[in-house]
Formats: sequence, structure tokens, C-alpha cells
Amino acid sequence: MIEQLTIPFQYEYMLKAIFVSALIGGVCAFLSCFVTLKGWSLMGDALSHSIVPGVALAVMLGLPFAVGAFFAGLLAAAAMGFVKAKTPIREDATIGIVFTSFFALGLLLISLYPTGFNLRTIVFGNMLGIADFDILQAIVICAIAMTVLLAKWKDLLLFCFDANQARSIGLNTTALHFILLSLLSAVAVAALQAVGACLVVAMLVTPGATAYLLTDRFGRMLGIASTMGVLTSAAGAYASYFLDGSVGGCIVVLQTTLFLLAFAFAPKHGMLASRRASRKAIAATLQEVSA
Amino acid sequence: MISDQASLEVHVSDVTVTYNNGHTALHDASFHLRSGSICALVGVNGSGKSTLFKAIMGFVRPSRGSVTIGGRPVKEAQKKSWVAYVPQSEEVDWTFPVSVWDVVMMGRYGFMNFLRTPRPEDKRLVRESLERVKMWDFRDRQIGELSGGQKKRVFLARALAQGGRVILLDEPFTGVDVKTEAAIIELLRELRAAGHIMLVSTHNLGSVPEFCDQVVLINRTVLASGPTEEVFTQANLALAFGGVLRQFQFDHSTVDDSDGRAVTLLTDDERPVVLGRGGHLEHRLSDEGKQGDES
Ligand SMILES: Nc1ncnc2c1ncn2[C@@H]1O[C@H](COP(=O)(O)OP(=O)(O)OP(=O)(O)O)[C@@H](O)[C@H]1O
Ligand SMILES: [Mg+2]
Repeated sequence: MIEQLTIPFQYEYMLKAIFVSALIGGVCAFLSCFVTLKGWSLMGDALSHSIVPGVALAVMLGLPFAVGAFFAGLLAAAAMGFVKAKTPIREDATIGIVFTSFFALGLLLISLYPTGFNLRTIVFGNMLGIADFDILQAIVICAIAMTVLLAKWKDLLLFCFDANQARSIGLNTTALHFILLSLLSAVAVAALQAVGACLVVAMLVTPGATAYLLTDRFGRMLGIASTMGVLTSAAGAYASYFLDGSVGGCIVVLQTTLFLLAFAFAPKHGMLASRRASRKAIAATLQEVSA
Repeated sequence: MISDQASLEVHVSDVTVTYNNGHTALHDASFHLRSGSICALVGVNGSGKSTLFKAIMGFVRPSRGSVTIGGRPVKEAQKKSWVAYVPQSEEVDWTFPVSVWDVVMMGRYGFMNFLRTPRPEDKRLVRESLERVKMWDFRDRQIGELSGGQKKRVFLARALAQGGRVILLDEPFTGVDVKTEAAIIELLRELRAAGHIMLVSTHNLGSVPEFCDQVVLINRTVLASGPTEEVFTQANLALAFGGVLRQFQFDHSTVDDSDGRAVTLLTDDERPVVLGRGGHLEHRLSDEGKQGDES
């Protein structure tokens, strides 16, 4: 039985998949705290789809795909910002327009100029077949993102919470906005490998949302989310061996399970807790009234 | 918290602010404030109060004119954390997972290192500020779990911790009960004595003469500015508010019959201001209390 459980560890591709998934999952989860609090979930989804034409172009030109993806992401963000500033169209509509057009452009490019690059890889990820160069790429992205996040998380927190205060003490909020956007773009690129464009947003939202239910302190929220990201991603990759299922699917289902558990049982913000609290409050009032 | 530098002045000269949509919210606004004053910023909705705040904080660049603080441009004042801002409640995300302590500590970021690690000095100042607004006991509460008045006090504590020598308060008394209002006013008075400059936008006309020694009346430009007794008159208020103010003229009321004095009561929906015959402010600015407030 034990032997069976360790089988995945005997394969190098499984070890790689577990390691890279955990790494990406952790960084995504750390970032997810900012994404959920800033209300950028839709933005994360949009970016992860918008990078597709960048990937296609980069592959056609023989560049590392992360480069193309990153710039396509930033271009999409800039386009959204531009449309938002210049028209009164609502933000969700703007995001919808921009990311679908980018995604469509990507599809078109790939279908017109087949390069041997598989569309499935972009849309659903391909963790088990990940190339060494792509692993290196993911490690570099995660290392840079994590360094920036660890150094600047307090500034980013203030920026998300109260941009006016950040500005009034002389922080460069334009730069902070750009940093957060670039991080989102870069990390989405890395996550593309693991779970594919469709599920990136889950990795960028679910851990943060779960941790939010469990604590009222941002520092702890970061810790909980990252731990959850690392563990679920590693476990998801591991489980995919036995289920013979998609790695992305396993990771995201695991994360959702944890979210549901937190949703029901969280000590303060969970459903049961609030019900208990309101029952207690009612009982207390009744007692007061009868006394 | 006591000011360690010589007097600081705020100079607003000929400031014109035009928003991207081409709307000029403020034109040729000029006034100045000396250190150790509380100034009320009074005007109708849309008269440009928040815009003026934004100009003083450097959030909007005046298309003409300039703002200087202590003789320096706004950008420099920002770097020194000289200008502190107490936001309107609606501007804050109260569901954010930060505690009272965290929020006040944010006022100290400008003085910390690259990683924003609090030094003992920062912690001491945060504690002092919280104690000063009587919110120390609430330091571990999530900020959304406070009453309206407590929330205001937390942000005031942040301004204190920041050591802001110019403190801007955007409508600090909306949704605050009389007791908290009195406590906030008391605190502002202490800060005035310590040489701070406070600019308070308010619709609460009645309390203006009570604690503000300066008034700036504004309607897309500065209509009048200066000491309260001189500026806060019926004529000027009528100018600033046009027909918007509710006005109760007691000339022909029983009040008038009984004691023969004419009293005017002006209100912009909150506490009314009471004016005597000829539109003079009947309130004496002093610590003698509020007698003379009522007719
Ligand atoms: N970001 C903006 N872009 C364009 N116009 C703006 C912007 N902000 C404010 N305005 C306009 O500028 C004018 C002044 O607005 P401001 O917010 O300064 O008023 P206010 O005096 O603070 O009003 P209130 O008492 O309602 O708070 C208004 O006509 C408003 O419509
Ligand atoms: Mg305003």
C-alpha cells in the first residue's frame, strides 16, 4: 500500500510536476490576496486569456514564450485602461471586449500559422510534459515575483487599501499599480504552464478568498493563502497520477474544496459561525427582555 | 507630536483646477493659513471642496497657480509626510483585513525603511496616537467592526502618528454623535495649540464658529476667507449658498415679539447657524461656552 503511494515519486516527470506546481501555486496564492482585495479577479482572468497571442507570436519568432506573453498581458491591461479612461463604458464590459479580442487574435494566429505549438497546452496547461526550459522560465518568474512581493507587500497593501494615503505620504502609486499589474501578468504566464489559461484565475483568486474567510489580519492571510497554494498544488499534481486526470483540474478542485470548507466552518466569517452568532445574539436579547 | 519646526504656512495662490472632462471645478482660488489654526471650508455640494483638498495633497495638478506648504511645493511636503488626510467614510473599504493598529501604523510608512519595518519609535508613536483618540483598547479590532465615530478617530490617529502638520479633514462630522463630535473638536483644539494647521470641510454650519478661527467660503472659487468673525456673516453665507440654505427668519415670529430681537437661523441641513440683526454672527469665539448660541 505504502509502496503504491510513493510510485509517483519514482518518476522524474512527476517530481518535476509536483515541484513546479507547488512553486507556481504558492506565488499565485500570495498574489491572490492582493487580487481579491483590490477586486481584480476579472482582471486576472482577462490577463490570462490575453497573453495567448503573445505566446503565439513569441513561438513564431523563436523567442521564449514568457516574453511574448508578458508583453501581451501588459498591452491588454493598457488597452483596458485606455478604453476605461476614454469612454464611459463599464469596466466589466471593457475587460470583456479587450480580453476576448486578444484571445481571438491568438486563436487566429495559431490557426493561420501552425508552429507545432499546441493550443491545448495554452488552454489547459501541460504540467506533465513540461520542458526543462519552461521549468527554468517558471522558476525565474516565480523568484522575481516573490522577491518583489516580499519586499513591497506593505506598500502594495497600503495601495490596495487606501491609495490616497499612499499618495499623500509620497509613495508612487502609478508605479505600484504598474508593479501589481506586471506581477499579475508575469505570474499568469507561469501559471499558464500548470493549469492553462482557463484555470489560471482560480489559482489567482481561490486561495486569497479562502484565507480572507479565515482571518482578519492581512499578514496571516498571506501566510494561510500561500500555504494553501503550495499544498493544494503539490497534492493536486500528485493526485493526478492516480486519477489519471488533468493536473490543473486536480489542483483547482482541491482548492475549491478547501474554500467550501472555509465557507462553511470558518470560525468567524463562516456560515455556521454567523448562524451561531446570530442565534446567540437572539437568545441574549430574549433573555434581556424576559429579565 | 508637538511640532519641532518653526511655523508652517499653507499658501494657495490663484489655483485653477480643470478635470480631464474639461470641467473647471476651481478657478483663481487664493487664501493662506498660518500655523496654529483650524479653518472651515464651507460651500455647497460641488463647489470644489474636495477638489481643493486634492490640489493641496497634490492629487490633481493645478492648470494654473500653485500651492506651497512651508514655502515648499506639495511634492516635497509629501515626501516629508507633512500633509495628512482624514478620508470621508465612503472612500474607505471597511471590509479590508487590517486592524486598527495596522491602519495607524500605515501613517508611519513614510519614515520607515525600504521594507517598512516598524522601529520602536514608530510603535511608540502609534500607541500614543491611539491613546490620544481613546482608541487604544480597540487596537486589535478589524476596522470594519467599529462605529462611525470610532472609525473617524482611528483615521485621525493615523494623521497624528504621521505627524502631519497640515491635516485635512473631509466632512469629519457626518454620522458622528454630539459626544464624539465634541471629542474630535477638543482634539483639534489641542493640535491647534501645538501649531498644526487643520482644514475642515463641513456642512455643519452651526459648529463652525465654535471651533474654527478661520473660514474659507468657496463656490468654484474662494468667495471670502479670513477670521471667522469677519467672514462668517449672513451676507457672505448668502453669497456662498444662494438660495440653497434653509432660512428661518424670526423677524416676525413670536421670538421677535417676546424679546424684540431679530434672529436669523441658517442651515445647510445639519446644525444651524444663528445670526443676529444685520447678519452678524452672534457667537463669540472663545472658551466661554456656547451661550449666545440660542436666541
Ligand atoms: N474626477 C473628476 N472628474 C471630473 N469632474 C469632477 C471630478 N471630481 C469632481 N468633479 C467635478 O468638480 C466639481 C467639484 O467637485 P468636488 O468634489 O470638489 O465638490 P465638493 O465641494 O467636495 O462637493 P461635496 O460637498 O458634494 O463633497 C463638481 O462639479 C464635480 O462634478
Ligand atoms: Mg466633497
